[in-house]
Amino acid sequence: MNRNMAVTFSGFSLVLLLLTGASYGQGRGQQAPSYTPTVTAWDKLPDWSGVWQMVGPTVFDTATQTGKGGSVDIGVREHPPFNAEWEAAYQKSLAKRDKALLPDTITNCGVPAGFPRMFNLPDPYEFVIRPEEFWLLTENGPNVMRVYTDGRKHLEDQWETYTGDSIGHWEGDTLVFTTVALKGNRDGDVQLDRTGIALSDKSTVTTRMRKVDNNTMEVVLTIEDAKALTKPWVVTKHFRKLPVGTRIYDYGCAENNRNPVDEKTGKTLVLDPKGKPLNID
Amino acid sequence: MNTVYKLALIALAIGAVLISVQPAAAHHSGAGFNSGTVVELKGTIKEFQFKNPHTWIQVMVPDATGKMTEWSLEWGSPNSLGRQGYRPTTFPPGAKVTVRLNPMRNGSPAGGFIAAKFEDGKVIGRWDDKISPSAGYNPEK
Repeated sequence: MNRNMAVTFSGFSLVLLLLTGASYGQGRGQQAPSYTPTVTAWDKLPDWSGVWQMVGPTVFDTATQTGKGGSVDIGVREHPPFNAEWEAAYQKSLAKRDKALLPDTITNCGVPAGFPRMFNLPDPYEFVIRPEEFWLLTENGPNVMRVYTDGRKHLEDQWETYTGDSIGHWEGDTLVFTTVALKGNRDGDVQLDRTGIALSDKSTVTTRMRKVDNNTMEVVLTIEDAKALTKPWVVTKHFRKLPVGTRIYDYGCAENNRNPVDEKTGKTLVLDPKGKPLNID
Repeated sequence: MNTVYKLALIALAIGAVLISVQPAAAHHSGAGFNSGTVVELKGTIKEFQFKNPHTWIQVMVPDATGKMTEWSLEWGSPNSLGRQGYRPTTFPPGAKVTVRLNPMRNGSPAGGFIAAKFEDGKVIGRWDDKISPSAGYNPEK
């Protein structure tokens, strides 16, 4: 290669690099922000540090619970303001639950818990506040949900997902956020607990979170669902702070899942150490 | 130490014990196990599977003729147990144990772990007269 050819080649390479770099820099077609991001100063934000755990069993709405016991116990049900169609579906789920044939969507370790079930899980939580967003982290799952507090709006053409799209703001020390674009149980893989409560892909949730004292977090969920509910459904959950120094570990749900769901019957299986089901009669 | 403080400590201790013997329900329904029946077995630890989403204690149990059967005892998540101080070494292979469990409803060699007692008397879980086969523990009756 002579000198002229080398200069030409180098110049061409530089232009190519700049072009590709510019392309990556713009996120390959990523839209430019349609808003001016705003942040809340650190010193204006409350302290939600530490590790937290839900108070009470994983019955989603204990305020409307009938019967004693947990969500897998016969006779336990809740009373969301379902319309006739969704109430009938709930009754079918309860009947299956009573026969231990209602599969829990998260038992197969393949899908997220979804929202608002993310506020109804066992094991510890972290509530992480940043100036521009809030992260809801659960050990169980694990699950991650992001709430944007930087002034952006919901996308008008947002598609439905397990945790939807959450936009929030601070009212003093209370975080208020609205979650839309939830897929709900449209695909049969999201429920709120093991009594079989489900919501539709038209559900939205307005959440108000605040610390009521140094060791207690209150979460008030107002759930609306034009397909499934006759009126807004208000559910309050509480979380208590665990001792300082509590660790959270990774949760490889598929690491050694000896309780998969039998697709034919819906029964939760118990596998022996070699993977053979012990409870297919 | 005043009385109220003592009562609070007792309540905390009872709570800690109850948490430690919670059935394995965090990840799935425990409906396959009969929570109204307690079975006691003597055997040898084969393996302690300290893995998510639930731990499993594998115990080799001989019958009257000496034939060995491997039992699978399901316990809590390693994360939860780890926070309570348990470790993969909690059940060392080869250790002789007496275990109590809620058995499977269909009689298969598996169940929900309740408690274990080692040869040296060390106890893990809730080992008392109220939850034992000899007490005829059976809330379903």
